[in-house]
Amino acid sequence: MKFEDFVCYEATVPELQGTDRDSAIRELVSALVDAGQLPSDSADEIATAVIKRESEASTGMGKGVAVPHVKHSVVADVVAVIGQTAAGIDFSALDEQLVYSVILLISPIDSPDRHLRAMENVFKHLQKEKFRKFLRQCQSPEAFEDLLKEADENPSW
Amino acid sequence: MQAGEETLERLGAEITVEIKNADGLHMRPAMLFVDLASQFDCDIVVSNGQTDGDGKSIMAMSMLAATYGTRLKITAEGPEAEKAIAALRELVEVRMFDEPPPEGKR
Amino acid sequence: MSRRLKARGNGLGQDSEMEIKKGIAVSPGVSIGKCLIIDSEDYRIPRREIESSQRMVEVQRVRNAFRDAIGDLTELESDQDQTGGGRIKDIFAVHLRFLRDRSLRRRITDLVYSDSVTAEYAVSTVLRQIASHFANVKDTYISERAADIYDIERRLLKQLLGHKREDVGRLREEVVVVARELSPTQTAGFNKAFVKGIASDAGGRTSHAAIVARSLGIPAVVALEDLTEIVHGGDTVIIDGNRGLVIVDPTEETISQYEVYSQEFVALEHKLDGIREKPAVTRDGATVMLLGNIEFPDEAEAVLQKGGDGVGLYRTEFLYLNRPTEPSEEEHYRAYAQTVRVFRERPVVIRTVDLGADKYTQSKRFAPEPNPFLGLRSIRFCLQNLTMFKTQLRAILRASVLGQVKVMFPLITNIQELMQAKMILHDVMEDLDEESIEYNRDIDVGIMVETPSAALTASTLARDADFFSIGTNDLTQYTLAVDRGNELVSTLYSPADPAVLRLVRTVIQDAYKAQIDLSVCGEMASEPEFVMILLGLGVRTLSLSAPMIPEIKQVIRSVTLEDCNVLTRKVLGMNSERQISNYLRNAVRKILPEAF
Repeated sequence: MKFEDFVCYEATVPELQGTDRDSAIRELVSALVDAGQLPSDSADEIATAVIKRESEASTGMGKGVAVPHVKHSVVADVVAVIGQTAAGIDFSALDEQLVYSVILLISPIDSPDRHLRAMENVFKHLQKEKFRKFLRQCQSPEAFEDLLKEADENPSW
Repeated sequence: MQAGEETLERLGAEITVEIKNADGLHMRPAMLFVDLASQFDCDIVVSNGQTDGDGKSIMAMSMLAATYGTRLKITAEGPEAEKAIAALRELVEVRMFDEPPPEGKR
Repeated sequence: MSRRLKARGNGLGQDSEMEIKKGIAVSPGVSIGKCLIIDSEDYRIPRREIESSQRMVEVQRVRNAFRDAIGDLTELESDQDQTGGGRIKDIFAVHLRFLRDRSLRRRITDLVYSDSVTAEYAVSTVLRQIASHFANVKDTYISERAADIYDIERRLLKQLLGHKREDVGRLREEVVVVARELSPTQTAGFNKAFVKGIASDAGGRTSHAAIVARSLGIPAVVALEDLTEIVHGGDTVIIDGNRGLVIVDPTEETISQYEVYSQEFVALEHKLDGIREKPAVTRDGATVMLLGNIEFPDEAEAVLQKGGDGVGLYRTEFLYLNRPTEPSEEEHYRAYAQTVRVFRERPVVIRTVDLGADKYTQSKRFAPEPNPFLGLRSIRFCLQNLTMFKTQLRAILRASVLGQVKVMFPLITNIQELMQAKMILHDVMEDLDEESIEYNRDIDVGIMVETPSAALTASTLARDADFFSIGTNDLTQYTLAVDRGNELVSTLYSPADPAVLRLVRTVIQDAYKAQIDLSVCGEMASEPEFVMILLGLGVRTLSLSAPMIPEIKQVIRSVTLEDCNVLTRKVLGMNSERQISNYLRNAVRKILPEAF
């Protein structure tokens, strides 16, 4: 599965306004609503679920990246949005580092495989320092989109 | 039968073709080549400059391992030599084995 | 290295000459038996030469095999129409063309004639030649086809060998296994009731053959180089796992000498068994926990019998090998449940699947990697195959209510891998919660420290891991850049190398600072000469193969921690592996002379 299959480029938030974890998550959820990926009346519920899950176990992957996710019946297929902040947010990642890039994923309840394929893709690329570095350098939604498209085309790069 | 015609029959035809599809002469194209070659009444030998192979043998053709850009010399001998050469050229260079050329090239 | 001795009235026929071959002793004991030769494809390729008069028969067998294989494939190909796998159909079509290619068949039958060999041998030889021709082409698309050729080879061999295939899992008599080398796939079927010894051409102290032999408690000798070329199926061989000798076609005199020697050795083992009930405590009161390394649930009992306090390393790869499909969650669960029940409240550390550089990940489903040991193996493979990974984690979590289960991730090289793995574990816990399935929420999650990068960043990893287990086999391999299975360099492989010892020390110190548990589970833990240095470095938990537990316990009970500390200080000041190795060996020889 490639980024283009689940990442909503229109919803990208190149500079998150929130300075803490919970507001960053809410911001990303609302970005998905604005892009028409989520119904607005479920936004609150979804954001709360993501935050709850995040409190139980941080999805901070280390090296400044976090991948909060949740399963919810309101989506038919995996949808994700990327948000970034230059200031860094505390996600209680146990490596005690701040998080700069957040990829929020909402997955359908009944297709666990789609979620796994998306996670595999995320893991694969986020493992690479080059990718993370370029990601941090993106300032506009177009830049993010270009980077992810390039990653999709060069899976072994 | 007149001697002259026999001699003509024994003459072969020869051509050099270039592999134009991106993935080269992998299994599927090799199969198409062999199937086509086998339809003609003549002997067909294909050479990549280092080895020769029987154009009607899938094993020989795959062993040639001809990648994109490789030039192959096809030699046919027998009654349908000319027809065979023409058909094979069309398959390799015109139809390109019904496969795409490399990205960015025509 | 070999010496030929003239047979003296041994009644074995005029062609037999006793031959003694020297290799590396990797598992103690003596075994005298008939040998079974295993080929790398898990088939026993019968003796190669045939009589000239047999050639026609063999040629006909080749033709029949082709005919039957074509029949099978044609059926399979038409079945594919329904399931709509256009690409799969293509593959069958191509394989069929190959099988119908007369020049291929001719090449094989020509070989039967020219060299007077069996159909199987001819098929295998010709197809492998073709496969290697493909594999050497730089274009990956084409070189991948080598896998297709191997598939065709298997198909033809299946026809030829049919019922005659020597399935190691279905042995009915005692044998000694001889192979070029043994992969986990092949040894997964070994039943110790029938497999009495192992000898391989390749390998070293920590190759798979060695590990399996030690687990099963049978003698093994490796790195014999060309044993498979001089021995024939059914020959009598003696495997001397103490001295590292394999004797082919022994004289009667030699056999009786060995029988006496073997009895003496068994007596020593019994003496060691006597300390089963005694605790593993040094003379000055330091307690060491001794756990077992296992691969199959059947070995669990052996660990207890030998005095182990639990399982420090449960290798789970065998569940995936020797089978065409992945194991189901139930199959996982059954194996883990069976094991955990044997140990009850004693710890069982289950390591998630550590496949790689092996048939499984290199099969034709995936493009073969040029450097599998450094490639997508083990935890990396799992993180790219989450469905499979989650299945195993589910089973481990479900089994965690039955006893004291801990989960361990192999080959972790950086914190991201650990975080990702823990994230998936958490996802699995969520799923189980939703399904109201019980599991131990507080299960300990640890890692194998077996790469230089993990060793050097152990302090960071320690923040997120509940325990470490040092995998000295791979750690030594990666640190010294030596392939432990390569008989040409296996003597370079040594945990006594100062570089390795320094890394081990770093890990132990970092674990101690972070106050997390630490154990050593590589082969180093089962070697008497390393007990003192490990204790001196601060290790208090060792996990090793069951048969060696009594001997290691004996060493522990014979030393003082004080002496271990002194020894360790001296060793840390040494710079040469040879010096360290000799020093350690001498030290333990003084304590336990009969082990040598």
